[in-house]
Amino acid sequence: MTIRTRLTLWYAGVLTVFLLIIGVGTYREIDEQLRHAHRRAPTEHAISETSEMVFEVGLPAVGLGLLGGWWLTRKALTPVSKLTEAITRVHERNLREPLPRTGSRDEFDRLTEVFNAMLARLDDSFNRIREFTLHASHELKTPLTILCGETETMLRDESLSAAEHERAASLLDELRRLARIVDGLTLLAKADAGQVALKLEPVRLDELVRDNFADTQILAEPQGIGVELTVCEEITARGDRHRLRQLLLNLADNAVKYNQPQGHVTMSLRRAGDTAEFTIANTGPGIPAESLPRVFDRFYRGDPAHSNEVDGCGLGLSIAKWIVSAHKGTIQIESAPARLTTVTVSLPLTS
Amino acid sequence: MRVLVVEDERKTASFVRKALQAEGFAVDVCPNGDDALAATRVTPFDGIVLDIMLPGRDGLSVLRQLRERKNTTPVLLLSARGEVNERVEGLNAGADDYLPKPFELAELVARVRALTRRSGENKSTVLRVADLTLDTVTHRAQRGGKDIELTAREYRLLEFLMHSAGRLCGRMMILEKVWDYDFDPGTNLVDVYIKRLREKVDADFEPKLLHTVRGAGYVLKEPA
Repeated sequence: MTIRTRLTLWYAGVLTVFLLIIGVGTYREIDEQLRHAHRRAPTEHAISETSEMVFEVGLPAVGLGLLGGWWLTRKALTPVSKLTEAITRVHERNLREPLPRTGSRDEFDRLTEVFNAMLARLDDSFNRIREFTLHASHELKTPLTILCGETETMLRDESLSAAEHERAASLLDELRRLARIVDGLTLLAKADAGQVALKLEPVRLDELVRDNFADTQILAEPQGIGVELTVCEEITARGDRHRLRQLLLNLADNAVKYNQPQGHVTMSLRRAGDTAEFTIANTGPGIPAESLPRVFDRFYRGDPAHSNEVDGCGLGLSIAKWIVSAHKGTIQIESAPARLTTVTVSLPLTS
Repeated sequence: MRVLVVEDERKTASFVRKALQAEGFAVDVCPNGDDALAATRVTPFDGIVLDIMLPGRDGLSVLRQLRERKNTTPVLLLSARGEVNERVEGLNAGADDYLPKPFELAELVARVRALTRRSGENKSTVLRVADLTLDTVTHRAQRGGKDIELTAREYRLLEFLMHSAGRLCGRMMILEKVWDYDFDPGTNLVDVYIKRLREKVDADFEPKLLHTVRGAGYVLKEPA
């Protein structure tokens, strides 16, 4: 049965009910008036009684009509709000899960069906893009291996002049950068395709942070950047040791790279409710508000004028974000020009 | 020293062969797994460089077959897949080392060297290069009779370099052995640590022991 038929039937039902009420009321009133009329002639009194009747019976009937209408609309719109709720939950990761269908073959069921078909097509396209990235990064590795190998072989050639040697070395540096980008892309493409399994085990976060703190001090020393670990509470969480170390080093490396000479990096690790909270702040030039939401995007560099000043693969924060999400945690960045830039990572602690 | 390189990509096989030959290895190349298995039956190799992705029988299968035949030749796996778990899978299947592609040639050579020399490693608890000594029990480092203060990480770095004294150590190899990183963090962590270590170990002394090999890595050695 279509919604149109259903709505019509319901509305007909409701109308009948309050027409009946009005009918019965009017009938009884007229009946009484007629019986009075046999004894005396109609008076002013009878007229005012009639208008009273209109208010006493008519108003409640209208009220009932309103209530019925409201009930009807709600009834009619419930499938729409249910659908809206279901659609809100759709994002690129769960395209494969179809929206629940009622199976009643009405307009809404048909709409859900069409929508599900669209989701399936989208899922297909997304998969193709993911596969493309994955295949592309694989395909790039063979020529890259050859390029790196040949360039290194060239570097070993003693008949090369100093200038040629320098050129080959610079070429090799760029090739290695390219190799790191391809590595990062492969990792992210695999993560997107759900092909990276974390090796979860109890990990002492404070030990990882202390370790990372020591490395950061060394990394920061040449630029005269001071590194401080303000709080480091003893916390054990379930996680992938390698990935968490990669995350910490990534963030620390960023905090040093995007800092200014003689700047500061401040880290802390503390328990916050049922999460472990790691923060790392730096005194870099800050990130403008319009760039902030995009810093976790792949290859996002903010101000293109400065994009070449810092050496990196442009995937560090994307990888950091993936590692945090894979641990069911959250990562946030707060910054403004000429203010501290703070990255906060929260990882859930399961007892 | 005779090494078998199992690699189907012709150019890769070619420069790996050249690099290993330049280091004094005799090198045989096989383009597929079955040929490699056949070759190991007739020739005793000191090491095998084995690509995982091969046409037909893949590298892991070759490796399992080898180990089933009780062939204990050290194997270095190469892989373009760079799977996170592939390394573990490879080591479980009996590999001695694993290197993701694209690799640094110097790194590969250094690892093959390390593999083929593994058996005759120095078992002494005090490592010595020229007048530099490192006690692996007390963690005490001395040069020319003077104590050198080292942080935990610097100690591990020096210990690794001294264990591999005279051999080139690639950046990835150092990250792996000293930091236990199975990824390239893309930082200059190793270079900065080496610089610090050099200040402590070499700055006030002659001859210099810690050398940089441009584009390849580092080597700790007594000048010839």
